Amino acid sequence: MHALNRRSLLLAGCAASLISVAPSASAATKASQGRKIIVIILRGAMDGLAALPKTDDPDIRAHRAALIDAKAIPLSDGFALHSAMPQLAAMYKSGEAAFIPAIAGPYRERSHFEAQDLLECGGVKTVSDDGWLNRALQKAPDAYAAVSIGPAQPLILRGAAKNTSSWSPAVLPEASDDTLNRLMELYEGDPVLKASLSSALGADAVAGGMDRQGMGGARGGPGQFLPQLTAAGKFLAQPDGPEIAVVSLEGWDTHAGQNGALQQRFTALDAGLKALKDTLGETWKKTAIVAISEFGRTVRINGAQGTDHGTGGLAILAGGAIKGGRIHGDWPSLKSSALFENRDLMPTVEARSVFKGLLRDQLGWAANDLNGPVFPDSAAVKAMDGLVKA
Amino acid sequence: MSRLQGAIAATRFGLGARPGEIDAASSDPRGWLKAQVRPDAAVIPAGNLLSVKQVFEARIDAYQDMGPRGRPPGAPGQGPGQGNVTDEALRMVRQQVQRETRDGLAEEIDARSRHAASTPNSFAERWLRFWANHFTVAARNAQTIGLVGPFEREAIRPHVFGNFQTLLGAASFHPGMLVYLDATRSIGPSTQAAQRRDAGLNENLAREILELHTMGVGSGYSQQDIIEFAKALTGWTIGTPQLARLAGLGGGQGRQAQRAIRAAAQEMQQAVGETVFVEQLHEPGARTVLGKSYGGQAKQQAAAILDDIALHPATARHIATKLVRHFVADQPPPAAVAKIEAVWKKSNGHLGQVARAVVDLDEAWGEQSRKFKTPEELLVSASRAAGAEAAFGRDQRAVYTSLAQRPFSAPSPAGWPDDTASWSGADAIKKRLEWANAVSRRMVRAESPTEFLDQALGPLAGARTRQAVARAESAEQGFTLALMSPEFQRR
Repeated sequence: MHALNRRSLLLAGCAASLISVAPSASAATKASQGRKIIVIILRGAMDGLAALPKTDDPDIRAHRAALIDAKAIPLSDGFALHSAMPQLAAMYKSGEAAFIPAIAGPYRERSHFEAQDLLECGGVKTVSDDGWLNRALQKAPDAYAAVSIGPAQPLILRGAAKNTSSWSPAVLPEASDDTLNRLMELYEGDPVLKASLSSALGADAVAGGMDRQGMGGARGGPGQFLPQLTAAGKFLAQPDGPEIAVVSLEGWDTHAGQNGALQQRFTALDAGLKALKDTLGETWKKTAIVAISEFGRTVRINGAQGTDHGTGGLAILAGGAIKGGRIHGDWPSLKSSALFENRDLMPTVEARSVFKGLLRDQLGWAANDLNGPVFPDSAAVKAMDGLVKA
Repeated sequence: MSRLQGAIAATRFGLGARPGEIDAASSDPRGWLKAQVRPDAAVIPAGNLLSVKQVFEARIDAYQDMGPRGRPPGAPGQGPGQGNVTDEALRMVRQQVQRETRDGLAEEIDARSRHAASTPNSFAERWLRFWANHFTVAARNAQTIGLVGPFEREAIRPHVFGNFQTLLGAASFHPGMLVYLDATRSIGPSTQAAQRRDAGLNENLAREILELHTMGVGSGYSQQDIIEFAKALTGWTIGTPQLARLAGLGGGQGRQAQRAIRAAAQEMQQAVGETVFVEQLHEPGARTVLGKSYGGQAKQQAAAILDDIALHPATARHIATKLVRHFVADQPPPAAVAKIEAVWKKSNGHLGQVARAVVDLDEAWGEQSRKFKTPEELLVSASRAAGAEAAFGRDQRAVYTSLAQRPFSAPSPAGWPDDTASWSGADAIKKRLEWANAVSRRMVRAESPTEFLDQALGPLAGARTRQAVARAESAEQGFTLALMSPEFQRR
């Protein structure tokens, strides 16, 4: 073991964009005090009513009898969790998980792409070039950093703040340090490539010991859930690791034959959350996770044993810092007259209020910044109280 | 100056220069591009590749002796029946079919990559790839994996320089699109067939045509328009032997009805793997889309709606914007969009004329390369400059996968993103570097890195890059720096 290898010397020249090599303060003295937030984007619109059916709602069977898991695990308040997620159910029962069953952002159309962009940029109608987590980093109470898992930087982290990075494992031979040095020089006049390369080198130093198998496919699919969540855990568990991680889990757009597809995905998500908990170790106690989709799905089954794009959806909260064992927000009921446009679950909680609540109570953002630059024109959307333990 | 224009023609409009190509394009760069605008310029020979009909026939052949239980996954038809086939046998056949379709996809990817690496008509091929991405049909499961290659060759390639109406119709009604966007599962809700099967309408195809393929999101259509359009599209499905029974084509009961079903089934057997219209699955009645009523014959309804939205002004605006984003910059200059939009409207969406207008956009000829190459563009341009063997090595699919862009596998119906931010993240750059490093090891040959740089980029390579490549400590390192240079990473 060298105290300083050539690569870390190389990195010293570009410390501004590193996530962990040049920490400004140790975890103990930082404003975060070791607390973490993980945002999991469930892309494609997860069917919340399949994940967490309100089994005592008198109308649920009429709408979607064939889509209700008969073995769902009863939780509380008439809700049950799909039987493919026993470990998440255990977290709920031990006070480390909570659910928001009828949540949506301000968007009321049904385009995946537009809805995901708005979820990530934190806007109401128009999509901006930067994400709300990036704008939050610019206003952070301390030198916070964020990492995204996967080969592409998601919109939620893009923007002017450069203390962001993305990571997925290498499958090809690495370039020599000398080549890296020359390339850094070559990128001197190219801000985009320079920032990405220096950030990549920093991320690689952290992940050095990580298992590089098992993440072969670069894109989506339930096979990626566990390795991606494990990678996020490794980053956050590092001493001086970033405060925030973003993970995208794809493949939730279940227009047809959804029972089988969801069985697979719920199983993978459950195993992934458990692996995340194990990888985080002690850090789990100070971690708050929110998993959310761009919108929900139709309450009624469609003609193909699936569901179509809807409105109100489910957010999953987990982690040792979460005030668990509870359901947040009112249940809007499944009476046809109570549905949004007579087809979708009516949302009762605004997604931005949850993001604001987490940023404020978990990592100390100021209310003014949350209402202004982080989520523009959102003063009317109050930060949600009581999401995390004091 | 003219060699610079030649380099821009070959890299920004084409797929990257092959050795000698920049010089060939330099005498008349715009003419060199426009000469590629011919009706058949994007057509490639099918060779041993299967047609969509053959894909369906092969699947049905494999299950032929399995009785009613041997229903290919995803095919419309009855549920599992009481056949005497063992689960084991059924599983073997399924695995065999899956293996064959996977191999078929690998051959499609090979053929596509080989063509891109060698074609002299690389502007036509870029144009084709734009439209193939616009009308994304991606391999996402056992049903779609065999259809993506035939879809591109049959529905897109023959039509990219003709009328947009024709292209839209060919793409929307091709079996690949019908399966990918669930139209084969959509049945008119008030038909007997829907009531008998407890099935109904699926909006997916109608929504994506309006949102992605034509007018664009937020351009003035409503949820009701989507539902009406989806109803008009019901009845369009793919011929299978089971379809006759499903649709209740014979109607009624008794021996005569059974005979009618058998006759219809025979007819369907002929139409296996073809797009067919089954009126018994079509929602009856007139439809109103965007304020216009479509009555008339059921079979003409969807095509008439498609023809109208193809010519809708929002479609011209939406696609002109996408084209300018692709050929000029992530932030499309409004003046350039307006020019393309005007040609589109004047020519009623004639794609050959639109292609020539794109070539004539002065905004696209600036010296500064502003478009960041997608991974596939990077790989294709490297295979044109350095040879496919060097660019890909032995395992072509592993390279595509590692750089996060496997052909025919876009993550959603919106296709692959076409902007810098989506592809230039830290990890993406690291993957590109690892790839470039592997390529440079395979590039040991007579040519020096400086010659390679000049053949690949010509005057587009700036002084800093020329110097870095010339001063490299080894030829290998020089090739890596050339491939990773800001200029080669862009077009």
